[in-house]
Amino acid sequence: MELLIITVVLGLISFFVPRNSIKLFGLAGSFVSAAIALIHLINFETGSSVSIFETTEMPFGLTFQIGYDGLGLMMIALTNLIVPIILLSNYNNSATSENRVFHALVFFMQFGLLGVFTAADGILFYIFWEFTLIPVFLILYWFGKGTNKVLLKFFIYTLVGSLAMLLSFIALGLKANSFAYSDLLAVHLPAKEACWIISGFLLAFAIKIPLFPFHTWQPDTYTTAPMSGTMLLSALMLKMALFGMMKWMIPLAPEGVAEIKWLVISLSVIGIIYAAIICIKQQDIKRLFAYASISHLGLIAAGIMVFTKNALVGASVQIVNHSLIAIGLFLVADILESRLKTRELSHMQGTATLAPKFGFWFAVIAFASVSVPFTAGFIGEFTLLKELTKFHFAVGLLSATTLVFGAVYTLRAYQLSMFGAPKNESFEDLRWNEILVFILLTIAIVGIGLFPQFIADLVGPSLDKLIIIFNETTTH
Amino acid sequence: MGTETLILLVLLFPLIGGILNGTIGKNLSETVVGTIGTLMVAIPFVISFSIFLSLDSVVNVPLFSLLKLTDFSLNAGLQVDALAIWMTMIITGIGSLIHIFSMGYMKGDPGFYKFFTYLNLFIFSMLILVLGSSYFMLFFGWEGVGICSYLLIGFHYNDKEKGLLNTLAARKAFVMNRIGDLGLLIGCFLLINLFGSLEFSVIAEKMKSLSIATDSVAIIGITLCLFIAATGKSAQIPLFTWLPDAMAGPTPVSALIHAATMVTAGIYLVVRSNFLFELAPYTQHIILYIGLATSLVAAFIAMRQNDIKKVLAYSTVSQLGLMFVALGLGSYTVAIFHVTTHAFFKALLFLGSGSIIHANHHEQDITKMGGLKKYMPVTHLVFLLGTLAIAGFPLLSGFFSKDEILAAGFVHSPVIFSLLILSASLTAIYMFRMYFLVFFGQFRGDHHTQEHLHESPSVMTLPLIVLAIFSVLGGALNLPDFIVSNGSHWLDHFLNHGTFGLDKIHPHHIETSSAVGIMIGTSIITFLIIGISYWMYVSKQKVTKEEHDFTGWEKLSSKKLYFDEIYNALFVKSVEWKASKVLPFVENRILVKGIGLLTQVISFSGSQIRKIQTGILSSYFFWMILGIVGLISYYLIYFKLWNF
Repeated sequence: MELLIITVVLGLISFFVPRNSIKLFGLAGSFVSAAIALIHLINFETGSSVSIFETTEMPFGLTFQIGYDGLGLMMIALTNLIVPIILLSNYNNSATSENRVFHALVFFMQFGLLGVFTAADGILFYIFWEFTLIPVFLILYWFGKGTNKVLLKFFIYTLVGSLAMLLSFIALGLKANSFAYSDLLAVHLPAKEACWIISGFLLAFAIKIPLFPFHTWQPDTYTTAPMSGTMLLSALMLKMALFGMMKWMIPLAPEGVAEIKWLVISLSVIGIIYAAIICIKQQDIKRLFAYASISHLGLIAAGIMVFTKNALVGASVQIVNHSLIAIGLFLVADILESRLKTRELSHMQGTATLAPKFGFWFAVIAFASVSVPFTAGFIGEFTLLKELTKFHFAVGLLSATTLVFGAVYTLRAYQLSMFGAPKNESFEDLRWNEILVFILLTIAIVGIGLFPQFIADLVGPSLDKLIIIFNETTTH
Repeated sequence: MGTETLILLVLLFPLIGGILNGTIGKNLSETVVGTIGTLMVAIPFVISFSIFLSLDSVVNVPLFSLLKLTDFSLNAGLQVDALAIWMTMIITGIGSLIHIFSMGYMKGDPGFYKFFTYLNLFIFSMLILVLGSSYFMLFFGWEGVGICSYLLIGFHYNDKEKGLLNTLAARKAFVMNRIGDLGLLIGCFLLINLFGSLEFSVIAEKMKSLSIATDSVAIIGITLCLFIAATGKSAQIPLFTWLPDAMAGPTPVSALIHAATMVTAGIYLVVRSNFLFELAPYTQHIILYIGLATSLVAAFIAMRQNDIKKVLAYSTVSQLGLMFVALGLGSYTVAIFHVTTHAFFKALLFLGSGSIIHANHHEQDITKMGGLKKYMPVTHLVFLLGTLAIAGFPLLSGFFSKDEILAAGFVHSPVIFSLLILSASLTAIYMFRMYFLVFFGQFRGDHHTQEHLHESPSVMTLPLIVLAIFSVLGGALNLPDFIVSNGSHWLDHFLNHGTFGLDKIHPHHIETSSAVGIMIGTSIITFLIIGISYWMYVSKQKVTKEEHDFTGWEKLSSKKLYFDEIYNALFVKSVEWKASKVLPFVENRILVKGIGLLTQVISFSGSQIRKIQTGILSSYFFWMILGIVGLISYYLIYFKLWNF
């Protein structure tokens, strides 16, 4: 229980911490939450599921159950380890890092995320899912540069999706007379009904991920959000959707998967290529990384839809990998934007000469994002593409073009901003906290690149269970 | 120590060297950095030589499992056999010499320690590529060398004039290589589907039990994918245009990566997979024709290049083409023989050109050189030997290795044979054009440069001399049986006995009379070409024209047959057009506007309804209805589509 409560407590205390020490408090608090997650990780027995809190005595078939298995724990650990890194990256952005409300919102956001990853009840999942929207929206609204129009688009978009998901939950819950995860799983549906229900989930998740063509809220939102907001969105919030697809959408209505499989995979593949091509001529570095994110996530979504053990293992590795890379890339974008006061690539030429440390670490992140050997992406992409090729040759081949396009746009962004004769007079090289972030990210990326088995072992038994459920229903 | 431990040391040394120089190299003196870098490649050479002496069977060294999947595991492991150890010796041997040379060539460069870091990491990746026990490890190294190549081509990224150009060349190389990598990746997946493994030994075992039909779709698919990968790394048509551009990198890099080692990775891949290619005569034909076409096209382009490194680059492409011809004809050991001799003389020529460029204040245009013979006697001598070797001068290394390819072509068909002779003759023509223009006649550069012309320091000439000796004597590795009765075709035997698959393939040696005939014939052609070139460029003192004065076929050659322009128009422009025009239109006009319209409708009708209902109906509820309506209409359309 302390896992969730600590974030609420931290959030509440944040309001009363003196202004000059809020930075340190936030950082320390987030590290405590990370430590708690690590303790859970160490004590976790592979293949077990841990109940955190449970009561079934509630009206309307509602239950209050939270707990986690391997898959949930991976997401919990990811959340609790990423939040300190985000706060560390943000340490010197005084507009946010010295603000009490900001820290409170980040901790509430963390609370919501942990709720999503631990909820074992449909309605509870939905409540946490919606809850996360509030703090992140306020962060964007109070600390970002987004116009009301951009924020409204983001808000309406995600809300419409969530409501469709709520309908699906209600429909399922009425059948099961309960909203508990285990009861929802037990419901058998006719194919057509399952189709309805699964598309309710799909709308919510497709918007959040986002899948083509539901992605138009994303580039605007990412570019106008403050760095920490972009990081929360891309590294953590959209992972809720991928997690939701794996744990909720497909196992709850496996009968409908056959009908929508091709639709989702096609959209994912279109997204991979479409977003990558847009990146090739993109001039705004933050927007470029936003589109790159769409391209990377398309691959994960396609892999999840294939729903084999290998594909899900690959997707899990890639989920973690994408979070790390997203943090790195958006930190790079923010360093450039805040010091040069522009996001245009054409104004950045030659920065590596002025700031060699920055040039080096940006190169590391850029190479990690094109999935070179020794990085987590190398393993994740290899596994996902292997499964997609096995699923259908054309799908695998088209998805694999990300290898080429990724190299084109990532290296272009790197070269235009870093190489050539310097255009600016000076550029402040990395500060200690930024270097620390890059080092931590690199350790994690290379660590997973060499020992991906750790993740596979953690999530493996949970994935096996999901696949058994899926296979039992679909083969009947 | 057993072979298992020794081979790990071979891998570890360059990695440690890279890490050492990369982390603390900045604070060390150039001599220390250079010595560390060189030793970390030289020691593995000594070790691999000792393994080579004692190797009598294939040694498998499983390391650890990266990821266990349900049907397949990503394993890290090494495999030492004749082919692997032979490649290892080439890589570390030539690598050591080039490291020594670099200590002189890169002297005073602010990125000295970085240069040696990258070089060591390159050696490490290249060793993984050839020593890996599976296609997965091969892919690992394959990608690794691609990155090192990228970093080294763009090494002088902040150069005032050429900085951006260098990095563009680097990116072009990386992207073109990645297209090839795509082939390798897909090939790997097809292999997994067919064999359930990527381990060479497992696939080899299963080949026996599965009894796959010759030229079946599966095997053609796999071999074609692997060949696409090979065309990327080994710069064959259609993916060859990156290699000449890669000359933007420092000259030792061109010698090591873009001539002697990395570009032969494609050849290695095909030889390693010989048992697959043997079952796909269809793919072998494609390899033969692509190799032949590349060889001729590149040789033609090399005829009128004025940049000394460009000539050598196209020459490399052409020679690689010849190696692919050998592969297409099923003569795998011949290809490796040519890889070996080519590594000697091309590394020599590149380093020689580095020495020349060094002396000429980084001038690379041969129209601005001339008469260097008297200023740089050592460089001149070794360069001459290298030129003779590549041109196929009798009894030098290139003579024997090229002759074997010609002989294989002779057996196959007269047309192929005559085209191979043409390619070999072109090689002699462009090489001697360059040689005479650089070393004979009057110096044509500016006065200031002429005053400073000097022989390079011994740290640079010493590796040149060693390479020259090998370029001259390298043919001894694989002498035909009518020259020596005992120990002929040594390399053939060595590779055939110690490499899986090759033991099944017996190279057919042609009759002695034809072999001697071919040798005499090619020797006469070479002598004629040298004589005519001497007459043209030395006696008549003809100087080649400036690039913009070329007309007719010369212009075609100097403009590289417009390959870059055609690719630009066909592929680059079309993708960029989509990226800058079409997709932004779809994005902004269709998707964003469409969604924008939807939100407007929602907020407008929301406000209307709020008026009617005077706020009783919350907007939240309204959106819910709208969501339902949206879903229904979505499904009406969707199911209709589905029923088609």
